[in-house]
Amino acid sequence: MAYAVGSTIAREFIDGFRFPQIWGMLGWDDIRQRYRRSLLGPFWITLSMGVFIVLLGVIYARLFKTDIAVYLPYLSVGLVTWGFIATTTTEGCRAFQEGERILKQIKLPYGVYILRVVWRNVIIFLHTIVIFIPVAVLFKVEPTWYMLLALPGMGLIYINQVWVTFVLAILCSRYRDIMPIVATSVQILMFATPIMYVRDSLGESAWIADINPLYHLIELVRAPLLGQAPAILSWEVGIATAVVGTAMALALLVRTSRRIVFWV
Amino acid sequence: MARILLNDLSVDIPIFDVGTASLKKALLGRAIGGRFAQAGSIVTVNALKNLSFEAHVGDRIALVGDNGSGKSTLLRVLSSVYPPTVGTAIVEGHVSPMFDATLGMNMDATGLENIRMSGTIWGLTRAQIEGSMEDIADFTELGSYLEVPVRTYSNGMLLRLAFAIATVRDPEIMLIDEVIGVGDQKFFTKAFARLQGVIQRSQILVVASHADEILRVLCNKALWLEHGKLVKYGAFETVMAAYRGTELVTAEPDSEWSPPLGVAATN
Repeated sequence: MAYAVGSTIAREFIDGFRFPQIWGMLGWDDIRQRYRRSLLGPFWITLSMGVFIVLLGVIYARLFKTDIAVYLPYLSVGLVTWGFIATTTTEGCRAFQEGERILKQIKLPYGVYILRVVWRNVIIFLHTIVIFIPVAVLFKVEPTWYMLLALPGMGLIYINQVWVTFVLAILCSRYRDIMPIVATSVQILMFATPIMYVRDSLGESAWIADINPLYHLIELVRAPLLGQAPAILSWEVGIATAVVGTAMALALLVRTSRRIVFWV
Repeated sequence: MARILLNDLSVDIPIFDVGTASLKKALLGRAIGGRFAQAGSIVTVNALKNLSFEAHVGDRIALVGDNGSGKSTLLRVLSSVYPPTVGTAIVEGHVSPMFDATLGMNMDATGLENIRMSGTIWGLTRAQIEGSMEDIADFTELGSYLEVPVRTYSNGMLLRLAFAIATVRDPEIMLIDEVIGVGDQKFFTKAFARLQGVIQRSQILVVASHADEILRVLCNKALWLEHGKLVKYGAFETVMAAYRGTELVTAEPDSEWSPPLGVAATN
């Protein structure tokens, strides 16, 4: 495997992508593990998210006095996308700890451990986004070509999640306090981000949504699937966070890559 | 051509207690003038000190020393897991580390699934794994047990499977850290022959063990470490005589294992 620790820092990041056979297998096995010997297997992921969306949708549509035909499609995409972001972020803190045995035996690029976490959550995302199909059919969401924009939107979320996971995995392996802080922050963000309500309902406080990159990232997937093009601002925010964030992650990697193995 | 070149290598390993791992305490320490930062001090272990040696094709090196002398640390430097704190470590060639034979194993997966998973982590391609499937099945003699969760295996069966997977590769540099342990006598004969086969196909071997008989059969050189420092490096018998000469009690392992009859030394 001729690989030296920290020899070229970017290699720890980029080369992670060169081993999909390893992180793909590990990520998929993580999911199979959870559902071994269960009747429905990974289909439980779809089922539980489906029930959650329906219950939440019915209750909140009444509470907010919104038309359920508009609310439920909006909610389902938002919740599923948020689920990907939230779970990858919290699980990402433990990315290196999860791979501790391998990390201390064989030299693999650190990216492998990161991409494993991201990949298994992509699999979960794929299992849950399919819920949108019956919802869209049932509530007659108009199919437009804009729906295809959801794909690059999801791609941008994926790229952002990679650097976030990297940064958190590195920091959390050194400072064990960070994980509960992240978990709480994610919970708070779920309410600060328009997922269960629309941005416009914030009225004068809509700026809270506008300064939140997560709002924009979710919009990149939600708006297309609801039949519209996302605002240009959302694309700009998504790309900017990806670029700045990746640079941050690389900078952190330069400073810490030689010590990570001792922290884990 | 495989090559190992260590120059003035030192490795310091930080040990963290719960105190310093807390971000809160680290921040508090800074805010209150640094007093608290000292309360949870990081202990650093000088695992290796100023190590320099070379290894070339054909070298089969026994790594000997008391527990805690730095053998595992050195092996991990050679496999690029631990970075040097000071000095350089040049390791040229494909490295096959065999530190934990059950690496990548999932107890709930079947034998066959584990072969694929472990093989992938070890660096084998799908083609290599599928190609060796029959060889592995024959060697382990597990038969239809291969289709049953590994959880149900006995320790001996587990070792057979792990060993089979770990010895599929053709390494250029092979590193072994006391892997050979529990197992039944018949398996040991088989396993040893297989291990020897793999070793003979490797260009450089570094094996850490307390079992002198195994080392005598496998190695032509020895490297003696004590408290992280290189005491002696050279021909096997010379170094071993010096190493064993300083022992008050012969450090014999618990098992009464001896090399199978008819197995010749490779000196």
